[in-house]
Amino acid sequence: MGKEKYEESSSDEEVNSSSDVVEASSDEEVESSSDEVEVSSDDVESSEDESSSDNEKVEESDSSEDEVAPRNTVGDIPLVEWHKDEEHIGYDIKGRKIKKQPRKDKLASFIEGADDPKNWRKIYDEYNDEEIELTKDEIKIIQRVISGRTPHAEVNPYEDYVDWFEYEDKGHPLSNAPEPKRRFIPSKWEQKRVANLVRKIRAGLIKVSDQHKEEEHNVYSLWTDDTDSVENKKHGGYVPAPKPKLPGHEEAYNPPVEYIPTAEEINSYELMYEEDRPKFIPRRYLNYRSVPAYDKGVKESFDRCLDQYLCPRTRKKRINIDPESLKPKLPSRKDLRPYPTTCYLEYRGHMGPVNCISVDPSGQWLASGSTDGTARVWEIETGRCLKIWEVGEVARQICWNPSPDRPILAVVLEYDVLLLYSGMGDIDIQTKMKELLHISEPGATEDAGDSKSAATWIQHEKHDGIRMKHFKAVSSIEWHFKGDYFTTVVPSGDSKAILLHQLSKKHSETPFRKLGIPVTAVFHPSKKKFFVATKKFVHVYDLSKVEKIQKLETGVREISSISIHPGGENIIVGSKEGKMCWFDLELSTRPYKTLKVHSKDITRVTFHRTYPLFASASDDCTAYVFHSTVYSDLNQNPLIVPLEILRGHKPEHGRGVLDCKYHPRQPWLFTAGADSIIKLYCH
Amino acid sequence: MEPNGSGSDASRQVQVRFVTRLPPPLRVPPASMAVPSHLTRFGLSDIVNLLLKNSDPDHENQPFDFLIDGELVRMQLDEFLIAKGISAEKVLELEYVKAVAPRKQEDPRPHDDWVSAVDGSNSSFILTGCYDTFVRIWKSGDVSECTHVLEGHTGAITSAKFIDIRGVENEQNFHLVTGSKDRLLRLWKCDAAKRRGDPIRVGAYKILAGHTSSVQSVSVNPSREMICSGSWDCSIKLWDVKESEEDGDGNTISLKKRKVNSKTKESEDARLEGAATSTLVGHTQCVSVVTWPDPDVLYSASWDHSVRQWDVPSGKETWTMVCGKALNCLDIGGEGSALVAAGGSDPVLRIWDPRKPGSLAPIFQYSSHSSWISACKWHPRSWFHLLSASYDGKVMLWDLRTAWPLAVMESHQNKVLCVDWWKDDSVVSGGADSKLCITSGIEIQ
Repeated sequence: MGKEKYEESSSDEEVNSSSDVVEASSDEEVESSSDEVEVSSDDVESSEDESSSDNEKVEESDSSEDEVAPRNTVGDIPLVEWHKDEEHIGYDIKGRKIKKQPRKDKLASFIEGADDPKNWRKIYDEYNDEEIELTKDEIKIIQRVISGRTPHAEVNPYEDYVDWFEYEDKGHPLSNAPEPKRRFIPSKWEQKRVANLVRKIRAGLIKVSDQHKEEEHNVYSLWTDDTDSVENKKHGGYVPAPKPKLPGHEEAYNPPVEYIPTAEEINSYELMYEEDRPKFIPRRYLNYRSVPAYDKGVKESFDRCLDQYLCPRTRKKRINIDPESLKPKLPSRKDLRPYPTTCYLEYRGHMGPVNCISVDPSGQWLASGSTDGTARVWEIETGRCLKIWEVGEVARQICWNPSPDRPILAVVLEYDVLLLYSGMGDIDIQTKMKELLHISEPGATEDAGDSKSAATWIQHEKHDGIRMKHFKAVSSIEWHFKGDYFTTVVPSGDSKAILLHQLSKKHSETPFRKLGIPVTAVFHPSKKKFFVATKKFVHVYDLSKVEKIQKLETGVREISSISIHPGGENIIVGSKEGKMCWFDLELSTRPYKTLKVHSKDITRVTFHRTYPLFASASDDCTAYVFHSTVYSDLNQNPLIVPLEILRGHKPEHGRGVLDCKYHPRQPWLFTAGADSIIKLYCH
Repeated sequence: MEPNGSGSDASRQVQVRFVTRLPPPLRVPPASMAVPSHLTRFGLSDIVNLLLKNSDPDHENQPFDFLIDGELVRMQLDEFLIAKGISAEKVLELEYVKAVAPRKQEDPRPHDDWVSAVDGSNSSFILTGCYDTFVRIWKSGDVSECTHVLEGHTGAITSAKFIDIRGVENEQNFHLVTGSKDRLLRLWKCDAAKRRGDPIRVGAYKILAGHTSSVQSVSVNPSREMICSGSWDCSIKLWDVKESEEDGDGNTISLKKRKVNSKTKESEDARLEGAATSTLVGHTQCVSVVTWPDPDVLYSASWDHSVRQWDVPSGKETWTMVCGKALNCLDIGGEGSALVAAGGSDPVLRIWDPRKPGSLAPIFQYSSHSSWISACKWHPRSWFHLLSASYDGKVMLWDLRTAWPLAVMESHQNKVLCVDWWKDDSVVSGGADSKLCITSGIEIQ
């Protein structure tokens, strides 16, 4: 469109030929004057020819500068300076000099100008050294340009917009949607070519290599730090020093209030470890000049220097695991109530360490034996000592007969076992017990006569009971749950180490022959089974067949005590190194769980008869209470939860708690201490 | 109006009006007045005393306790108002009552062994049971005087109760029952009128046998015709004492005569034995305490952690409440004689309201003791006051209207085993220090 306009305008110029005529005449005048100059010049004729030819051209064409080439050819040079002293002003196209016009007198030219009415339209062209008279149209164009309009009045810059396309009701002429796949026509030749290549690759004619990968390996980063490279890591190479912490807001002289620790926080810093304590405690100052010198400045920078060049560094591999998640998921202690927690009652009276305690099956009385040579019976409810037997020797073990009809106590002394009537029955029981605990003389002599018998039954006159003499020191005693049989253990007795006694017949026997050094022996709470603990193993016997069923490997150094779960399928074993092992007889002969809880010897482990509780007492003056649920479902393992640490006993000659027993009906635990006190912990 | 003399915080004052239900000489004019808000009950007490003195110059100063909305003021007035969310703008009604506090500690009555049972239901005599198997009767008075010693038990006495004072005032005859750890209950009769220098020795006229283990507690029914006993053999037995009284009346003297004559006591006891009329079975452990507040209703507490209510005619359980602790003591009293107070193997005295449906949570819990609670006793007439005794050697007096003990009596050096009210204004308590302590001068309206 612009081009067309241009053409139009050029046609306009052609129309204005009349003005060209005027110009031509002026040119002629110039020519005539130049002719005068030419006379003086060398090549007059030629110049005349040229000028004539120029004139012809002028007449034919319009006077626009685009058409007529400038006369002068020197180019854009500072004419005034360079040709100031020359006679010519330049050269024409043929290389001839163009002479300067003679300088007109200014006065003459003024007069000339005053006469000529067209003088205001004349301008002097310094380059060509001539005067040009502008036409009226040209003046108009100049005026329009000066006033900021289009040069030609015919041109309308704000033409009406012609809408060449129709948009309304037509929508977009083309869709933006991508080409649908259905329009794709697979190239038959490409397919053939691919099939050909595949065939060749399969035939092995073309080999596909992994060249690309190798190329990638060849590229390496030139500017990265060596510290992260595999090579460096392998050799544990250079580890850069940690960057010092940048100062933060808290180190400002007047930090915001939230950075200032409260008095409580400062006090809590005192409780922290030296390492965890914050190095810098923010403080506020009123102004900058009251900030004191930083007293640790020199030391810190010195340390930093040491750290920079002397400190050897290694990379620590830290596994980021939440320690809480590693803990086993245990039920809350609150849900496992009741269990013993607090000591409310103390049974005082013994003069020496209390070695053993036993609670009667009804839960009314407590028997205890002590190093001071006494055995006592206490009333649990009030803590009153009801009865004292002066046995004269250290009472090592005391055991209440589990049958409620036979309130008999068995007390283990060094070589003897005393069977005593506790005195806690009515008259009928009293007479029965007297009969039971009476040995007719012939029986005693019979036993005495048998040299092989491991134990001798003798009437004890002083306490009106039975004294059973063993040939070696007795370590433990345990009643059968029916209350007629009981067992004693003589650790150094070799083949006669385990004795079974029957109270009603006053008879003893040694059914188990080959054993190591037994520590303790217990009956199964309901079945005809028998457990013998040697130093490292627990042997399980069938009493009816007198044969070994199981041998449990504890993995501890020395067993000190053993207790059978009331269900009979689980046992706990306490050891002298403070470890406790839980065995599930149906699961394995190895411990289901080993608990390392005490720092010193475990003296006693015990199960509660009815509540799902067990406890361990130790020489470190503590007793631990555990919860233990044994499920009837065989697929579910027993649940063991530590509940409470019971403290309170004082150490005496390196010994702490010597015995612990549960109350048969209440969730209460009795502990006997080396400090000669028996404590009752209630829920 | 500044009895405390401080007056520093005079800007904060509360408008109060003192009201009371006390008789006229102790009434103050009902006008309201402004008192400093930092006053405690001592300051308020001073104000009331001052007001009383203005109207009656002969008035003697005495301490008062103050109630706001049925709760005893135990802190500064302003703190109390804030704690209870009561507006200080309104006129506060302060009801004042005579402060309940022990004023006199009488000489302890010495025993030979632990005092394990005490009964103060007779206003002129105190009955005590002791671990030395004897039951003693003490006459009230300034000097400690043991009038009777009842002998015959072979085990420690666990419980002793007056059944009835027979006859009229001038010839007082006691009728007693005791329970012991020797599994027996013994019934005794003795004549109070006889007085000599030495205590009279009395034997039982009847032996109630049947329990197979220690008798822990006996209780007499309100009509004084039946007794019940709880024992370690988990059972409660009911015994009829009415008929035995009639035929036993003539026996007493003859028994004494025979006692003098023959030493064969056991055979004699066998002839005098009585049998239980019925047995209530349900508890699974030792029945530690029984009480019989209504003719038809009997309560028992046990080591099996339960309190049970029994219907006596049918012998059935009507209400069971499990508390979680082995219980040693139980008493029925308080509002409408229906609240159950019990304590046991922990230092908390709990009070239940069996009339509340659906809830077995205690309505009050008092936990100032530091060891097992061995005894608790409601005041016979007051709805609010009760006593508790503990193995920590303290007897505490509680008012239901405040969570702190009104008074702590530390007269014992060892475990306190039994406690009872005596003559409505005294507390008798026996303990493991073999003393019967009497604290008197507790004025309860």
